[in-house]
Amino acid sequence: MSANTSIVMPGERVTSVEDVAKGKRIILGPGLRRVDDKVVASKAGPLRHKEPNTFWVDSYQRRYVPARGDLIIGIVKARAGDMYRVDIGSADTASISYLAFEAATKKNRPDLNPGDLLYARVLNANADIEPELVCVNSNGKHGKLGVLQDGFFFKCSLNLGRLLLRDSCPALAAIKDELPYEIAVGVNGRIWVKAHSTRETVGLANAIMTLEHAGYAEIDKICGNLGSVLQA
Amino acid sequence: MSKKAATNAAKDKLREMQCKFNPLSRSDGSVMYSQGATVVIAAVLGPIEVKTQNLSIEGSYLECNYRPKAGLPQVKERIREAAIRDVLELALLSEAYPRSKMSLQVQELEDRGSTDACALNSACLALLIGGLPLKYSFAAVHCIINEQGEFVLDPELNETLRQQASFTFAFDSVDGNLLLVQTKGAFKIAQFNDIECICRAASAQIFDFYRSNLAKYHGRSAENDSSSTDLPMET
Repeated sequence: MSANTSIVMPGERVTSVEDVAKGKRIILGPGLRRVDDKVVASKAGPLRHKEPNTFWVDSYQRRYVPARGDLIIGIVKARAGDMYRVDIGSADTASISYLAFEAATKKNRPDLNPGDLLYARVLNANADIEPELVCVNSNGKHGKLGVLQDGFFFKCSLNLGRLLLRDSCPALAAIKDELPYEIAVGVNGRIWVKAHSTRETVGLANAIMTLEHAGYAEIDKICGNLGSVLQA
Repeated sequence: MSKKAATNAAKDKLREMQCKFNPLSRSDGSVMYSQGATVVIAAVLGPIEVKTQNLSIEGSYLECNYRPKAGLPQVKERIREAAIRDVLELALLSEAYPRSKMSLQVQELEDRGSTDACALNSACLALLIGGLPLKYSFAAVHCIINEQGEFVLDPELNETLRQQASFTFAFDSVDGNLLLVQTKGAFKIAQFNDIECICRAASAQIFDFYRSNLAKYHGRSAENDSSSTDLPMET
């Protein structure tokens, strides 16, 4: 990414996308919308493209907007009947049924209290209804989902969460060489980490936060220095 | 510096614009914006939870607050708020997030003239940084006619003390349509048209400023990192 990335501004017509759309069906992601037969940007940021046909506008947004299938970290807020209310950082609080946990039955409820951290998947997301979460996959197994015990939790930009989850991101592999740790990254800009000692956990969290505003190019450099950050 | 500007004849340049993105850690997007010596901070939150009484199923509810440098908001600030909200309602794509609220806070830090325009420009930058859906960006320009009948674009506070008329225009970035007109004092319609042209030309400069600063923000380099790492952690 060069220092002067060309960006699109709200209201700008994106003709490059329209040209592709003439040949095949395309998917417009966040920041792009269709007005009649024009494609218009609604956010400011660099235009991104993923093969074969997905386009979106990148932004350093901090507010999470739920989307189906997202893996997120939520905080249990309250118990409401047969539901728990969970704060996931979006406009509405999400809900999760107590049956949406592994081996949960009407008799055998999961023991959740306000303040607990949940690593969950968004089952339902729509602008008009509140988001719904699950902590099991379609086979009824919890997999890696569920309550996060101990560890340290912090918020970051949505961008950092997505960056860490990218297959090509070298950061987590680089930290692995320095110390053993556990991490849960939610695409709602929330990260939970756990290492052997408090000292290591805090060092780890700081190391991850230094990646916050790094471009693709700088990640390698920062990862090279992670060792010294952790020792400090 | 203002003495020099005052002795100059008709001034047709905007004062120097500067901005700093995300000075506040807890808002969804914030900007500190200055035009000459006038400085404001604007912060947006949204989409966030809305009170049932304000809930709209067709679009998001827009809340706008303007805080003066000292004391509580008075009538003057309420008028300013209403002007900002009017423009924002036009520019925001509110149907994207029904049953939610968009909230904008503007804090005046230093009022040295053209505060209305400054507040609007900072609001636009905050919306762009916060990633709120917009139909277009907008820019506001302030201009006065001084005692000698000369047009002064983006005047200093002391220049506005003796003025015949004052104008604030806001334009959108796509068609250049007028979004807001505020006038005060006596003027001829020809003067109004001239000043609208001058302001429209100046708004292009503001749109360039938005674009270059946002491009810098998105392609930023390691030097900005130090400022972002010392943000307080939110847990």
